[in-house]
Amino acid sequence: MEGTLAPGGYFGRALVVDVADGSADVLPLPEDVLRAYIGGVGLGTWLMHHLAPPGVDPLAPEAPLAFVFSPLVGTPLTTSAKFAVVAKSPLTGMLNDALASSHFAIAGKLTGNDAIVVHGQCPRPSALLVDSDGARLEDADDLWGLPAAEAEERLRERLGKGWRIAAIGPAGEQLVRYATISHDGRHAGRGGLGAVLGAKGLKAVAVRAGTKVAPADPPAVLAAARDLRARSFGPATAKYRELGTLANLLAFNAIGTLPTRNFQAATFEGAPQLAAEDLAELKGVARNSCASCSIGCEHIYAGAGGKKVRVEYENVFALGPLCGISDPDAVLAASGRCDELGLDTISAGGTIAWAMECVERGLIEAPWLRFGDADALLRALEEIGAREGLGDLLAEGSRRAAELVGGDAGEFAAQVKGLELPGYEPRTLQAMALGLAVNTRGADHNRSGAYEADLSGAHDRLNGGASHALAAVVTEDRAAVMDSMILCKFLRGIFEEPFPEWARLLSSVTGWDLTGEELAQTARRIVLAKRLYNLREGWSRADDWLPERFLSEPLEVASGRAAALTAERLTTMIDSYYEARDLDPEGVPDAAQLTDLRLDSLVT
Amino acid sequence: MGTPKAALEWHGSTLLRRICGLVERSVDGPVVVVRAAGQALPELPASIEVVEDAREGRGPLQGLAAGLAALSGRARAVYVSSTDVPLLHPAFVRRVVGALTGEVDVVLPLAGGFPHPLSAAYRTSLLALVERLVAADRLRPAFLFEECRVTRLDEAALLADPALAGFDPALDSVLNLNEPGDYEAARARPSPEVTVQLFGPLRRAGKRLPLALRAATLAEAAEAAGIVLDEHVVAALNGDQITRDPDLPLATGDTIAFLAADAGG
Repeated sequence: MEGTLAPGGYFGRALVVDVADGSADVLPLPEDVLRAYIGGVGLGTWLMHHLAPPGVDPLAPEAPLAFVFSPLVGTPLTTSAKFAVVAKSPLTGMLNDALASSHFAIAGKLTGNDAIVVHGQCPRPSALLVDSDGARLEDADDLWGLPAAEAEERLRERLGKGWRIAAIGPAGEQLVRYATISHDGRHAGRGGLGAVLGAKGLKAVAVRAGTKVAPADPPAVLAAARDLRARSFGPATAKYRELGTLANLLAFNAIGTLPTRNFQAATFEGAPQLAAEDLAELKGVARNSCASCSIGCEHIYAGAGGKKVRVEYENVFALGPLCGISDPDAVLAASGRCDELGLDTISAGGTIAWAMECVERGLIEAPWLRFGDADALLRALEEIGAREGLGDLLAEGSRRAAELVGGDAGEFAAQVKGLELPGYEPRTLQAMALGLAVNTRGADHNRSGAYEADLSGAHDRLNGGASHALAAVVTEDRAAVMDSMILCKFLRGIFEEPFPEWARLLSSVTGWDLTGEELAQTARRIVLAKRLYNLREGWSRADDWLPERFLSEPLEVASGRAAALTAERLTTMIDSYYEARDLDPEGVPDAAQLTDLRLDSLVT
Repeated sequence: MGTPKAALEWHGSTLLRRICGLVERSVDGPVVVVRAAGQALPELPASIEVVEDAREGRGPLQGLAAGLAALSGRARAVYVSSTDVPLLHPAFVRRVVGALTGEVDVVLPLAGGFPHPLSAAYRTSLLALVERLVAADRLRPAFLFEECRVTRLDEAALLADPALAGFDPALDSVLNLNEPGDYEAARARPSPEVTVQLFGPLRRAGKRLPLALRAATLAEAAEAAGIVLDEHVVAALNGDQITRDPDLPLATGDTIAFLAADAGG
């Protein structure tokens, strides 16, 4: 069981469980596959190519969902206790991966598996239990309807403290297309993976460590861990330690990149009321870390009534400025309610903000749903979580809802490939505009960190061009490797030469003689493997695009300069991006590239 | 002066760097420096283009021709500045360029009793006319103005613009430096009044915000605000471009936001 034939840090196998009856098969993971895809998002992509039937309905029993670990999990390397959840998204119809972290990652891997894949459908609400003895199902009737955290707590009480649990909330049960999977208050948040689990009748997946896995070179790993830990206390992570990601909000407002009222503006007059710089003093009550993390980015605020809420920029942006709400207690309450229901805050806020504008334009008959109305926001969240009233429409996400509403509702639905935009205004961050348009997951800030290029000062963020395309490629490639090793992206600023440094880290764990060049090629392989999956599922160039609002409604920054992102400019950037990735004009890799990156097996 | 004007020190930077930066901030196209053949220039940002006069000693029209030629096809109009106007304000550039409406070829400021052809706006379509005048040894700008449509902006007209009236009421934008004493007097003036905002961990240093201070460059603003301008810090000027350039020139009324370089997440 300790995987003597597998490279260091791996077991060389995935457990594939049919939750219709709890039966499980072992899928061997050859070393060449592990080296080519590493783990996490990369390995999850490979698993989806091999296990997901082409064209499968993401909510159908035969659609697989994978919890994927990585070679670094279980090592003392800071921020390495992370896992990826990968499936076809019910929101986008394309490949989706989402990361979460902490003890589930460690216990899950130490079940003796590099991945746990579920498919099928439980005959009744169930929890899947996996440990070194294999898999089995447990009745979860009593947990159905509970918030994820409460279900997690109750199941752990029943099973014992050795178990670590990922669970869905009521939104996942109701098949809300942006429902999350939660563990220890953290969420595999984007793309509706909670609905995939809910469709299978799985309230929770519980894992218990039962074996060990050793790195190839323990002293080297220990030395690297000490070095990484020391560097993680430096100025590159100060923002996360001191204020958390909410520190973005006031700065983004100052530079006109804070999406407001469904992207009708990029500055919000109520931003100071939601600023971490002041709220941390007024409402901050604790700072937490994931397991194996030395950064401690989690900032816990006390909302109305003392209720504790984990605060992130994306939560506050989406449920605050995007909906025109500046009352911090209201935003904290909405964020806390999203956690309980198991809703992706970005998609929830994005879809509600879109609906608020629809109401203003007379496209939706719901006069109670107005920008700036905190009670309306909370009511909308309740209705979405229960799929009641207007919530049944909004539970579909803004793209599908706009199609149902008709008219010009799609032109201001701020989504790409069905995934709602995060809190980065594309007209004033034009490298990010490209990143949002071409990313395989949809509008996303974690798989494409192209905003880094916009905010670096290296080029004009209001005037996108070819240099922006190269920046988008670089950040995508780095994300692909970080999400596959897996290391937290909040560490990204501490690496001076990322690929060579990551190659040394991975080599010390796996025993491979990796180089930075090989890892750079691995990054390209993973990015294109995702694209190939989407291609298989019907993607076309038209999906790499932004909604009309961003192309026809210029903004103005504080200097008075116009921030206009035209269709022509976006086309130029996309063409440059395809060229930089050696794709043809339709965004498709050619046969030679598939062979070169050993991707041909995925398309035959 | 003892030193070429372009290379004169200005708050840790140079006069040429300052003028290029101020003009670049004020227009939405490229900035071109015209120099004499082989003339040594101080360090400039990579975005600044440098071209050379075809012939030396032919006066401002020769330089204008070289600049118009460099920008022909890329811009319909240009702002022309000498290098020795360190108190130039972007609002002045915008006021002058903004007056270049459809029926006008040149916008010529009149201030302090003089026309300022090297603080003026020109149509690039004037290139052929300027080249013809140079070829005919008609080298004074006045000859050009005789043959094209010129809008003259006197002080009242210039200051009708509220931004310019607010930031540069004495029209120091056209104050040029001809003698060492001019330079010393200008250099001795207080730096521009600017506003500094600090965000994220930078603000946690207990500073009262926003900070009103005096700074002629980004480096001076950072120092005055107690910020170390290293790889962990970037700045946004007036909510626009993000920069780390310590020599970025500042002007009265500017707002500089310092934020963590690791924005996002």
